[in-house]
Amino acid sequence: MADPFPEVRPNRLWGLSRLVPHLALFAAIIALWEVSVRAGLITSIMIPRPSAIGAAIVDLYFVTGTIWPHFFVTLTEAVVGFLIGAGIAIALAVGSSLSDPFKRYVTPYAIVLNVTPGIALTPIIIAWFGFGMGSKMALAAVISFFPIFVNTLTGLTQPDGEREELFRSLGASHVQIFWKLRVPSALPLMFAGLKIGLTTALIGAVVAEFAQATHGVGVLMNRFSFQLNMGASIATLLSMTLIGLILFYTMEFLDDRTVFWRREERRAAASRARARAWKRRTGK
Amino acid sequence: MAATAISRGMPRSGMSTGMRRILTHGGIFVALILAWEVGARTGFLDPLFFPKPSAILASFWRIYFVQGNIWYHLYVSLGLVFAGFAAGSILGIALGSLVGFNSLVRRFIKPYVIVLEATPRIAVAPLLIAALGFGAQSKIAIIMLVCFFAPFINTLSGVVNVNEEKLELFKSLGASKMQILRKLVLPEAVPVIMAGERLALTAALSGVLVAEFIQRDQGIGSLILVYTRNLNMASAFACIFTLTIVGFLIFKGMEILDRRIAFWNHEDGMARVGALRKGRWAKQAEA
Repeated sequence: MADPFPEVRPNRLWGLSRLVPHLALFAAIIALWEVSVRAGLITSIMIPRPSAIGAAIVDLYFVTGTIWPHFFVTLTEAVVGFLIGAGIAIALAVGSSLSDPFKRYVTPYAIVLNVTPGIALTPIIIAWFGFGMGSKMALAAVISFFPIFVNTLTGLTQPDGEREELFRSLGASHVQIFWKLRVPSALPLMFAGLKIGLTTALIGAVVAEFAQATHGVGVLMNRFSFQLNMGASIATLLSMTLIGLILFYTMEFLDDRTVFWRREERRAAASRARARAWKRRTGK
Repeated sequence: MAATAISRGMPRSGMSTGMRRILTHGGIFVALILAWEVGARTGFLDPLFFPKPSAILASFWRIYFVQGNIWYHLYVSLGLVFAGFAAGSILGIALGSLVGFNSLVRRFIKPYVIVLEATPRIAVAPLLIAALGFGAQSKIAIIMLVCFFAPFINTLSGVVNVNEEKLELFKSLGASKMQILRKLVLPEAVPVIMAGERLALTAALSGVLVAEFIQRDQGIGSLILVYTRNLNMASAFACIFTLTIVGFLIFKGMEILDRRIAFWNHEDGMARVGALRKGRWAKQAEA
């Protein structure tokens, strides 16, 4: 998806002064919500009071600590599933980019996998891999596969004729062309795919937990909402958001570190570090 | 590339490259299916988990023509998909343009969008079922929610990311706001919005399945669930391949729709509409 907020990053002080109206608005919304639920304008079964959600969060995280095992189970399922899916996707994409026949053999199956909603496989995957964490990882791997595969393949095969000609005329080997030209120019797209894949992996883990599981935030969510304990179920939903944010920003951080040449300040930092290392090595 | 050149240089058999390729791929596909069939028959693959391809074909025949029970479930699920998709994408486009054209709202809504983006939106399904009760309305609400986001974000970014230089040109030539919207913003935003719609419709198909997995009364999702619970894997696979076909049709349908609506983004669409306009103009000139 395209970036809807194309803005220059403001400096820190300006950002701080801009934070105040945001916080005020947030507080106002919460207050209005609380008041209207208390006054009976909104049924508390459909939308609970913010204070009830807050109380549930405190209870789940700090008083009883019920959520922690579930939280880590889901996080592990999503991450392991994502790693499996991404590993297969990247291996197949690299193979397809290196060999045309290989690509022709892989693509039709990848496309079939793409148009089938991966979620539909949930019951079958549970029958295959059981009620435990294995089935959740498998579903996460299946549905995170395609965005990563497509983005990596597109990145690796995007035509870059002039640069490739330069590499060839300087006598670069195939291996050098692959590592120094193809991979660096594919990385930004690849990371975009990995970000999408990571979010989908979380969805896969949670949906598989809805279907059948013993542990995980999905189970907790199902349990609370069927008890009509809406405060706790929204608190669980917010924990899923938290997992999503943790995963997303980890990826964003890795992206920032790996594809350092795309952002000005990161590039400056990386080249300063390289200059220091160079000086140390040459002893100057 | 190299392979094509070589095979073009040496016409070994009378066949074209494309023909031979189709044969090779078909051969490999048939070999895979045969290996699967043999593996399942000899007990190498557990038929409980990997049903024989012939059994899958047989249950295709059964659920479509003998019993014909899949039609009703397909009808229910697709009805929900399109209802939820229409509602969700209209809401998404409306809110997206509202936010996009108003820079103050945009600034304040940004953190909420980020939080919403990180939440697995399908996860709200049990909550919505608890709030709205069992039945079609909660399913449609789930699909709506799943469909809402992609059109919203894409409309927003399509409206916001207007080419600055073009905008300046428009303004300096004294274009009205309406003209800027119709002749500059929309032509650039509509292809992006259509891309969002495509994502949304795919998401809608997943959304209906999740809704039906949780609320197992009718629809293709509950059919898959029931078949798997009964360990009737062949029929479950037949349902999944049905969804592959549905997914493919949806994909193609959206592509055709994209060519119709955002015709200026495609070579053939441009040619078609150009010819149409030329004909209309010629008629006008005659009159």
